[in-house]
Amino acid sequence: MRALGSLLVALVLTLTGCAREVTEVGGRKVVRVWHVWGGTMAEGFTKICEAYQRAHPEILLKPVFAANDLATNQKFFTAVAANKPPEVIFVDGPQVASWAEWGALQPLTELCQEAGITEHDYFRPCWVQNEYKGDVWAMTFCADPNFGFVWNKQAFREVGLDPEQPPRTIADLDRCARALTRRQGDELVRIGLIPWSQYGAANSIFTWGWAFGGDFFDPATQRITADDPRVVKALEWMVSYAREYDVTRIASLERGFGAAEQNPFITGKVAMMCLHIGGIADLARYAPDLDYGVTFIPAPPDGEQRSSWVGGWCVALPRGAANRREAWEFVRWVCATPEGTELVGRATGLFPGWKASPYLQRVRTRRHYDKFLQILQECRHQRPVMPVQARYMRELSRAVDAAVYGKLTPAAALRRARETTQRELDLITQSDRRAGEGGP
Amino acid sequence: MRPRPASANERRQLWAGLAFCSPVLVGLVAFTAYPILASLYYSFTRYSVMKPPVWIGTANYAHLAHDELFWKSLANTAYYAVIAVPVGIVVALALALLLNLKVRGQALYRTFFFVPSIVPLVASSVLWIWLFNPQNGAINALLRPLMGSLGLGEPPGWFADPVWSKPAIILWSLWGVGGSMVIFLAALQDVPRELHEAAQVDGARSWHRLRHITLPFISPQILFVAIMGLIGAFQFFTPAYVMTQGTGGPVDSTLFYSLYLFNVAFADFKMGYACALAWILFLLILACTALLFRSSARLVYYAGEGR
Repeated sequence: MRALGSLLVALVLTLTGCAREVTEVGGRKVVRVWHVWGGTMAEGFTKICEAYQRAHPEILLKPVFAANDLATNQKFFTAVAANKPPEVIFVDGPQVASWAEWGALQPLTELCQEAGITEHDYFRPCWVQNEYKGDVWAMTFCADPNFGFVWNKQAFREVGLDPEQPPRTIADLDRCARALTRRQGDELVRIGLIPWSQYGAANSIFTWGWAFGGDFFDPATQRITADDPRVVKALEWMVSYAREYDVTRIASLERGFGAAEQNPFITGKVAMMCLHIGGIADLARYAPDLDYGVTFIPAPPDGEQRSSWVGGWCVALPRGAANRREAWEFVRWVCATPEGTELVGRATGLFPGWKASPYLQRVRTRRHYDKFLQILQECRHQRPVMPVQARYMRELSRAVDAAVYGKLTPAAALRRARETTQRELDLITQSDRRAGEGGP
Repeated sequence: MRPRPASANERRQLWAGLAFCSPVLVGLVAFTAYPILASLYYSFTRYSVMKPPVWIGTANYAHLAHDELFWKSLANTAYYAVIAVPVGIVVALALALLLNLKVRGQALYRTFFFVPSIVPLVASSVLWIWLFNPQNGAINALLRPLMGSLGLGEPPGWFADPVWSKPAIILWSLWGVGGSMVIFLAALQDVPRELHEAAQVDGARSWHRLRHITLPFISPQILFVAIMGLIGAFQFFTPAYVMTQGTGGPVDSTLFYSLYLFNVAFADFKMGYACALAWILFLLILACTALLFRSSARLVYYAGEGR
């Protein structure tokens, strides 16, 4: 009987995880950072952590790779639900509002005030992205100017286009794309541009939608505006490529695209594309001799000139996390100090969102980076700040997909995205008003 | 006769027995029974994991009827089940019959055809992404000259084309028929030789012997493979997730039920709705299995039943 009892106790203790998370080792507070950096970025991030650890021997900094993205947050959310989150978490910019709404984060408003950090310290879209329902929920680790438009000068020369004259308007762009596209039999071997393939269909429609002068969300009325006439126009233009070059043939070409040295811009399968700042380092590493230029993305004459938006990763403090002070100190250091932000830039090649960072001075004269800096400085947009962002991006993706494959007209596809997302958003806003009622 | 009350010794032994079983019992209750019951409760709530669930009655189930993606994913899954399961059975059976022939290197052939079914799903999915590559993949490299010479034009775009993405996945699934093949192969060993010989003497051709002797004898195994295949088809997830990077594209053509459920649960964190989806899936599988059992009662022959 006694044996059974002790066995049960042991079992229950094991199952409930009686061992508390260690938050202090030998008098040093532990700060675990769940980050998302793999590959060469991981090396850079390790350097940042090592530098901070050297300067702060009184704490124990533990970087842990724990990827999360629009659909892979199980590990982190379970940790929060189990009340054992890490001390610091990386969160993708467009997810900040959702995570705040779902109760995964704690507000940083007071900590920011104490530290004297204000919205004026950051590029505006970065700050906007991190504010939800009157509180600040995250700090920008890197501000991705989306996008730099890159064109392959060698390919331009080959087909008799002026390599120093990138397309400025959509009409220009179409003309260049037509000239640059090469076929072998019926198959495409090089295409000028794939409008919907700029880091996924959702990011593509954001990019062109804004460039065409449209918008996706009205924060004042909390209305989704996916079928804004100018966004519809942008999608109609994207669909024109699907028709002209045959969407299945483009998709066949795309199935051979890869990352790093298999990047289609390096392999020459795509002659013009939107490039993210991290891509510059990749091009330097894998194709040092590639002759290309960076500029603002083209826009129609009645659209938004020099259009861009900001993405990027942020850092936040999970709800229920231990060692709040120590964790915040780390966050403040990487996001809002000259040393920290400069090291972030140097070690990762990404731009800090903190305007006073010395790193931004340093890249002003560096080839290609100077252009990205301009794009960042003139940036006006960030993806809509609202709690069903992942769903919105999925619905926009579906809309683009359905339109380019000719299953729905651009207007109908975007209307569907608007209606579906609005319904999801309304469920949350309604349940705010009258908790306990409503649909799923 | 009423059972005799247990002696002290027996009772002690019962406790000891239970103590030794307890890891399994506790595990079963904590990790199987509780989650199942909890998911039933959550299916009537709105629940995002990090905040307490809110009871909303049958709203989740009511919402299903208006959910376009629920119907789309259900249709995709039905398409897959209706085609992949029977085709899989036919291919596995054909392979088993061929590998049952007494030829040299029989064991070697059997191994070759079985090996693909033990390759991990993710690994085989990644491999097939390359085989299905419309421009440079091995499949189209074979098809191109063949279709060209027959005047059929270009080979399909597979995952680049919403019409061909599901057939591509069905083709992939045939690669894993090794498991069913082994079951059929074992069953074939139990088909009495003397019946075949007697039929042969009476002049029955091989097709007739297959139809009237072999198939009835292995019909229980066919039913088993059909039911397991059906359950597997309803829960189909991994290759669709890997081959489409979780999008279920192009144009939702590979958005299978479990993939949609996964997105609802882990991208939107609508756990209540996802639980409702899971229970509907369970009821569907239950209904289909029951239907299959009933409709097959006349078709399946169990040796020794004396019919």
